[in-house]
Amino acid sequence: MFFRMIRGTFLRQWKKLLMIALTVALGASIATAMLNVMLDVGDKINEELKTYGSNITVVPQSEAVMNKLYDVENDEAVTEYIAEEKLGELLTIFWANNITDFAPVTDTTVTLNGGDEVTLVGSWFDHHLEFTKKGTTYQRDTGIINLRSWWDVTSGKMLDEQKQSGDGYAMVGSELAAQHNISAGDKITVKGEKGSEQLVVTGIYESGDDEDKYIYTTLSAAQRLTGSTGYFKKAEVSAITSPDDELAVRAAKDPSLLSGDEYDLWYCTAYVSSICFQIQEAIPEANASAVRQIADSEGKILEKTELLMTLISIMSLIGATLGISNLVTSGVMERSQELALLKAVGATNGQITRLVLTEILSAAIVGAAAGFFMGYAFAQIIGRTVFDSAVEMSGMVAFIVAVLIIAVTLFGSIPAVRMLLRLRPSEVLHGGH
Amino acid sequence: MNKKRRMFVRMVTASLVRRRSRMIVALLAIIVGATILSGLGMIYFDVPRQMSAQFRSYGANIIFTPSDDGYIDKDSLEKGISCFSKEQLEGYTPYRYENTSIHNIPVTLAGTDFSGVLKTSPYWHINGSMPSSDGEALIGAKAAEKLGISVGDSISAQNSFEVTDETDLTGIPDYEIYTDPETGEKYCDHMLELKAAGILETGGSEEEYIYVTLADIQSLTLSDRGYDIVEVSVAAMQDELKDYLKQVGEKTPDISARLVKRVTASESTVLTKLEALVLIVTIVVLALTMICVATTMTAVIAERRKEIGLRKALGAQNSSIMAEFLSEGLVLGGVGGIAGSLLGFVFADIVSMNVFSSPITFRPLLLPITIAASVIVTGLACMIPIKSAVEVDPALVLKGE
Amino acid sequence: MSLLELKDVSKVYGELHALEKANLKVDKGEWIAIMGPSGSGKSTMMNIIGCMDRPSSGQVIFDGRDITKESRKKLTEFHRDKIGLVFQQFHLINYLNAVENVMVAQYYHSMPDEKEALEALERVGLKDRARHLPSQLSGGEQQRVCIARALINSPELILADEPTGNLDEANENIVLDIFRQLHKEGTSLIVVTHDPEVGEVAQRIVRLDHGKIISDKKNESFSEGE
Repeated sequence: MFFRMIRGTFLRQWKKLLMIALTVALGASIATAMLNVMLDVGDKINEELKTYGSNITVVPQSEAVMNKLYDVENDEAVTEYIAEEKLGELLTIFWANNITDFAPVTDTTVTLNGGDEVTLVGSWFDHHLEFTKKGTTYQRDTGIINLRSWWDVTSGKMLDEQKQSGDGYAMVGSELAAQHNISAGDKITVKGEKGSEQLVVTGIYESGDDEDKYIYTTLSAAQRLTGSTGYFKKAEVSAITSPDDELAVRAAKDPSLLSGDEYDLWYCTAYVSSICFQIQEAIPEANASAVRQIADSEGKILEKTELLMTLISIMSLIGATLGISNLVTSGVMERSQELALLKAVGATNGQITRLVLTEILSAAIVGAAAGFFMGYAFAQIIGRTVFDSAVEMSGMVAFIVAVLIIAVTLFGSIPAVRMLLRLRPSEVLHGGH
Repeated sequence: MNKKRRMFVRMVTASLVRRRSRMIVALLAIIVGATILSGLGMIYFDVPRQMSAQFRSYGANIIFTPSDDGYIDKDSLEKGISCFSKEQLEGYTPYRYENTSIHNIPVTLAGTDFSGVLKTSPYWHINGSMPSSDGEALIGAKAAEKLGISVGDSISAQNSFEVTDETDLTGIPDYEIYTDPETGEKYCDHMLELKAAGILETGGSEEEYIYVTLADIQSLTLSDRGYDIVEVSVAAMQDELKDYLKQVGEKTPDISARLVKRVTASESTVLTKLEALVLIVTIVVLALTMICVATTMTAVIAERRKEIGLRKALGAQNSSIMAEFLSEGLVLGGVGGIAGSLLGFVFADIVSMNVFSSPITFRPLLLPITIAASVIVTGLACMIPIKSAVEVDPALVLKGE
Repeated sequence: MSLLELKDVSKVYGELHALEKANLKVDKGEWIAIMGPSGSGKSTMMNIIGCMDRPSSGQVIFDGRDITKESRKKLTEFHRDKIGLVFQQFHLINYLNAVENVMVAQYYHSMPDEKEALEALERVGLKDRARHLPSQLSGGEQQRVCIARALINSPELILADEPTGNLDEANENIVLDIFRQLHKEGTSLIVVTHDPEVGEVAQRIVRLDHGKIISDKKNESFSEGE
C-alpha cells in the first residue's frame, strides 16, 4: 500500500515533484560547478602564473659555494658546469608532470662585431628532448620560449630551433639592437674565449629588463664560444607548486629533521622545496633553489584566489541550500489538505512522514543526478571560456554533492514535517488550512 | 475610487501578513537571490583592485634609470615619484651600487632604503633581521657563503680611491693613505665597520650583494652622487602604468622610466583570466539563483490557483487579479531586494576582509540595480503562473480537488 | 416574465453527453431544486446557468439576453451583476476574515463598503464573528459567510451547489432557513443537490438523470413558511 500511495503521488503530483526535482537539480548544479572549479582553480591559476617565468634555478653544486666575482678575479678558475644530457633526469622525478618548462642556460661575455663586450646567452628555444632511462623513453618539447612569455618580438620572428635546424641564429635585445643598429636579418659576428661565430639575427625582442642588452642564441653556439660542448651553466625550471605551509618551511631548512610520516607527506606534496630536493636527487651534482620572487608571490596569489573562490562557493552553496529547503517546505505545505485526509483515515504521523520523505527524497535524487551532470557541464564552460582547458573532474565532488543534497533535502523537510505533525485533520478539511 | 484602493491595499497586506509562513518562504528566496547578486557584483567589481594589490608581492613593476650616464638625484626622483597617485603607489626604493672589497675580496655594496625594500621586494627572505640603523648590513646568501659571514658578525668594508690633495680628507675619522711604489700615486683606504644583521635569500642575483643604508655608503665613499636605479611598485594595470611612464618622462627628462615587463605583462595576463573567472562564475551562479527564485515564486503562486478561480467566480476580471498578485510579488521583490542588497554588501565585505584583509569598496549603484533586478525577476516569476491560472475555467478549479 | 430559459442546451465532453437537449424555464422569485444522482449532469447544468461554462449547443437566455453569444468579458460582467454563488466547499479566502471575504465580492462588483458587508453578515446571524478568519469558523458559519458573500450585490439569482453537503443537520437547517427568508424577499434560488431533504423544501423540483431532464414539477409539500 505504501508503494501504491507513492506511485499515486508520482502520478498525480508529478508537477510538484518535478518542481522539487528541478530546484534540487539547479542547486546541485551550482554546487557541482562551484566545487569543481574551486578544487581546480589552484592548478589553473598556477598554470597562468607560469607566465612569470621559472621559479626554480638549478646551478652546479660547487657554483653555489663559489663567488662569481671571485671567479672574475681568478680568470682561469674553472667555472663549474652540468652535463646537458643530465637535464633529461628532470623528466623522471616524482613531480615531473608538474614541471611545465625548463631550459639550460650558458651565459658568457663576447665581443660583438669586434667592438663592445656584450653578454650572450645560449639556451634551448623550443628544444625537442628525448631521454631514455631504464628502457623508458621520456619526451618533451621545452625551452626558453615559454620561460620568456613576456618578451615582445618587435621585429623579425622568434628563433625556431626545430625549423631553423642547426646553429647560426640569434635574437638580439632591443637596447643592444638600437645601440648597434642591428635589425632582423642582419649578420653579426661574436667572439668568445674559445672561438667566434657568425650569427643571423632572426628577431629583435623587448624584455623590459637587463636582457634588452643581451644576445640570445642556441645553447650549442654558446657552448662552442665557451669551449664547454655538452655542458651548461645554469638551468631555469618552471614548476607548478603548492603554496608553502608550516611543514614546507621546516622541510626547506633541513628535510632530514622531519619525522618519517612528515617526510613522506612533504616529499609527495608539490612544494617548491620538495621539487628542488627531488631535482637534486636526480642530478646529484646540481643545486636547485627557489626563485623567491616567483615562488613566494605565486603562493600568495594562489592562496588568495583559492580563498576567494572558496568563499564564493560557500555563498553559492548557502544560496542553493536555502533555495532547495525553501521549495521542499512549500511543496509539503501545499499538500497539507491531502495529508490531513490521510491522517483522518487513520495514518500515523510516522507513516505520513515516511511517505512524504520518500517522495521528496526520490525526487531530490533524480534532480541531484541531473544537476550533477549539468553542473559538470557548467564547470567545463567556465574552464573553456576562462582557461581554455577542461576543468578536472573530482570524484570527491560527487560525494560532497550527494551528501549535501540529501542533508539539505532532509533539513528542508523539517519545518514541513513539523507542520504535518501539528496538522489537525478537522481544521484542514474544513477549508481553513 | 478611494475605497476601492483601500480594499486593494487591505487584501494585499492581508495576504502578505496572514499567510506569513508562505511569504517568508518566498521572501527568503528573494533575499538569498538579491544577496548573491549584490554580493557577487561587488566582489566582481572589486577583484581587479584587490588582486592588483596582491600582485605587488612580485615586487617593483617600474624601474627608473638615469637617462644619460649620470645618476638620479634626489630632487628628480621626488619629482618623478610625485606623478603617481598616492593610493596606487605601494612604495619605491632607490639603489646605489659601489664596488668595494671586504677582507680583500671584491664585493658589490648596495646602498638602499630598507623601509622601501619591504614594499618593492616583499619576497626577500631574511635570516636574522632587516637592518634597522646605520652601521648594519644585509648580506646576500652567496656573498655570505663566500666571505664566511654569519649573522651578528662584524665586517669592515674598504673603499680605495686616488687622492690628489690630502687636505680634502680633513674631518674624516678613519682612513689610511698609502703610495703606490711604482707610480707614486697616493691612495686613500677608507674603512667602514658594519654588523651583519641578516642573511638575504632570494634565489636571484641579489644574493651576491651586500646591502647597507644610503648614509653608510655615503660616508664610505665620501660622495653623495645620487642613485643608479630606483624600483617603484605601483598597484595599476599595464595600460595605466604606461600612462604614468609618459608623465614621468615629460616631467623629469633625466629619468628614463621603464616597465618591468616580466611583471606587468604577466600580471595583466593572469588578472584578466581571474577577472573572467569571477565574472563567469557570477553569471552562472546568478542565472541559477534567479531560476531558483523564479521556481519558488511559481510554486507559491501555483498553490493559489483555487483562490484565483474563486475570484473569477466572484466576477473579477483577469486584469484585476493579475494586478493584485503582481503587486504582492512586487512588494516581496522590493523588500527582498532591499534586504538582499544590504546583506550582499555585508557578505562582500566579509569575503574581502577574509581574503584581502581590506574592506570592500561600496558601490552605491549596485543597490538600485539589485532592487530593480529582484523586482523584475519576482514580477516575471509571478506573471507566468498567474497568467496560466487566470486562463483556467473557474468551474474546473472550484470543483476539482 | 421568465428570468432564465434554457433552450435545447447540450454539453458534450468528448464521448460523454453530460447534458442533452435540456429545456428549463425559471421565473423571477422561483425556488428550484435540481436533483439527481452523481453524474446526472447537475453540475454541468449549474455551470452553464452560472455563466462559468458554455453549452456545446442550444441557447441560454438570461433576463432576455442570449448569453451564449456574449464575449467572455461581457459574460464575466453579466455573471457578476446577476448571480450569487454558494459552493459546497465554501471557497473562502483563508487569509481574509469574514467581513473581508464579503467585501471581496463588493470589490469586484462595484465598491467595497464595510457597513453593508457587516449588514449582510448580520442577516445570516454572524455579526459577532465578522473579524474571524475562516479557520476560526465552524463549517456552518463558513457556509453562512459564503451566503452573505453571494447576497451582497443583490443578485437576481442565487445559485447554490450542494450548499449543505459539508454540514451537519443543525447547520443545514440554519442554511435552509436563510434560503426560505431569501425566497420570501423575492430572490430567485436554484439549489443543486442530491439530498432529498434539501430538495423537498423547494418550490419546484427538476430531476436529472444521464444528462436528461426526467421530471419537472411543482413541489406539493412546499409551504411559504410559517
